[in-house]
Amino acid sequence: MSLVEISGLEKSYRVGEMEVPVLKGIELEIEEGEFVALMGPSGCGKSTLMNILGCLDRPSKGRVLLKGRDLSRLSDRDLARIRREEIGFVFQSFNLIGRISNLMNVELPMTIKETARNARSDRARELLESVGLGHRLDYSPSNLSGGERQRVAIARALANDPSIILADEPTGNLDERSTTEIMEIMYELNVGGRTIIMVTHDVETTKDCSRMVWMRDGMVQEVTS
Amino acid sequence: MLEYVLLSFKADRRRALMSSLGIIIGVVSIIALLSVGQGLYGGVNEQFGDLDMDLITVRPGSGMGMGPGDRPASTPEEPAEFDDKDVKIIDNVLGVKDVYPLKTTRVLLSFRGDNTSVSVIGISPEEHDDLKVVVARGRFLTGSDYKAAVVSHDIAEDFFRMDISPGNQIRLYIDEEDRYSDFKVVGVLEEDEDPTYASSGVYITHKAMDDLLDVEEYHYDSIIVRAEDPAQVEALAEEVEKDLSRIHRDEAYNVEALSTRFESMLEVLNMIKYALAGIGSISLIVGAIGISNVMMLTVKERTHEIGVMKAIGATTWDIRTLYLLDAGMLGLASSLLGIALGWLVSDFVGSVANIPQEVTLQSIVFGLLFGVVITTVAGIYPANKAAMLDPIEALRAE
Ligand SMILES: Nc1ncnc2c1ncn2[C@@H]1O[C@H](COP(=O)(O)OP(=O)(O)OP(=O)(O)O)[C@@H](O)[C@H]1O
Ligand SMILES: [Mg+2]
Repeated sequence: MSLVEISGLEKSYRVGEMEVPVLKGIELEIEEGEFVALMGPSGCGKSTLMNILGCLDRPSKGRVLLKGRDLSRLSDRDLARIRREEIGFVFQSFNLIGRISNLMNVELPMTIKETARNARSDRARELLESVGLGHRLDYSPSNLSGGERQRVAIARALANDPSIILADEPTGNLDERSTTEIMEIMYELNVGGRTIIMVTHDVETTKDCSRMVWMRDGMVQEVTS
Repeated sequence: MLEYVLLSFKADRRRALMSSLGIIIGVVSIIALLSVGQGLYGGVNEQFGDLDMDLITVRPGSGMGMGPGDRPASTPEEPAEFDDKDVKIIDNVLGVKDVYPLKTTRVLLSFRGDNTSVSVIGISPEEHDDLKVVVARGRFLTGSDYKAAVVSHDIAEDFFRMDISPGNQIRLYIDEEDRYSDFKVVGVLEEDEDPTYASSGVYITHKAMDDLLDVEEYHYDSIIVRAEDPAQVEALAEEVEKDLSRIHRDEAYNVEALSTRFESMLEVLNMIKYALAGIGSISLIVGAIGISNVMMLTVKERTHEIGVMKAIGATTWDIRTLYLLDAGMLGLASSLLGIALGWLVSDFVGSVANIPQEVTLQSIVFGLLFGVVITTVAGIYPANKAAMLDPIEALRAE
């Protein structure tokens, strides 16, 4: 059994009276431990696919199995639990909460999971140290550079020790140096055993990937290793 | 979760205060109004509480009370005129213990060259013994006294340059008519602790009063009746009324048990108390609408943040709980603040307006409960709105 099994996945959005198809029958399997780069022209449906994989959205048609579970059959509550415990999401625009400290941002998934307070802050501290931000615990994310913010976001994604990292253009807003730093962290996470699925436009960032999936117009066009 | 709420508090203290202003004001008014109401109630209760509940007053004219002994005030009847016949009739009613007819008028009291306007009260000394008048110096009037007077403590001590003492001579002028009578003071009353009853004045006998006024027919202007059994006082009032009606048909008079007036007064006060609390509740509801609006604003502002929370695994339930807790905590904080302020306000109002006030546990609980419940209820709609946000759309916000 693959970690992710996608077959006949369709997703369409209703815009006014019209059904606009975005994903038009995706077929894809991803094995545990892979580092997959998802590429394709803007608007081809990469983020849409990531959102479905990340349990933020539901398929319109077809099957998405995550560790054998059919996502379209799970309740909202179960989907939230998967987001919380099995998936770490890294966004292009970081999506940190500006009015609380970095430490609390990283703690948040554990707070929601109701992890004990001490264990929570110990782990958050550890994670921030591991991404090189041990000296920025009490800063607000809004006082950090883009690269630093993305590192906080990665630390947060790892809070509940998920086995899958979904990263939607994690370096899309970053300069070259920060991009290199983030990709190093990603690589290490993959080496550490986590499955990573990453959307990117930058071929440079795919050098460590085990596979590249090319999408076009809502379909998987080509898979290269 | 709770920690997160506290945190959101800290971040938004000013807005929290602003939004809860309505609730604070509501709770303040509930506390202040209830406690002033309670105080008035308690004050009246106290004032009337040790008053004789076994007394009935009979007065000519249509009364202003609300007791069952009243006849309709609209009937254009002549006021009844009461004399000894009526005293006898009342005295013969079963269950009547004592009857004290009274007549009061204003006169000019002259003592050693000073003049002051005072009340003169004509009484029947032989029946008056057990009314609550205690003689401080000298003696009270007896049936055989004629040009003798007993003066109340205030008149004796405060009204003239020199104190009036037993043995002194005083002169009473009937106003405007140049008529007067001299009286010998035989007693001075004890200082008055119960001003509703043994009132300030000069006490003389009905006989002396009659001669002083020099009217063709001497009528009492009130008759006080004491019942044998205080529990039966209202039934007795009706009985007295019935017996009097035989000779005072079509005349206006009023028979009223003091307890009746007391009870209806308490009833009115109770109504006032709850009306006041009602006003407080209305301001609370207005406050709740304010809270709801401000929370909607907060939810709108935090749309992105709520999206983040959901994306990293918060359930609909989590978000709803979070914002309801937020509202509840706000309600608790503002209610406590409101109670403290309300306490101060009722103290202040009480001392400035010189009305009794009393903050009771009941009103505190009432204020707290109302504040918290209403704020939480006000939070339901915004909390639901927050909980139902679609994470992807919410993340797109900002
Ligand atoms: N909620 C929505 N309602 C309607 N159309 C949508 C919605 N979300 C996405 N789309 C459309 O679906 C298509 C795919 O969007 P998606 O964000 O998946 O593209 P993408 O491959 O991630 O592009 P990019 O590389 O620019 O991020 C786009 O044409 C977009 O306009
Ligand atoms: Mg995209």
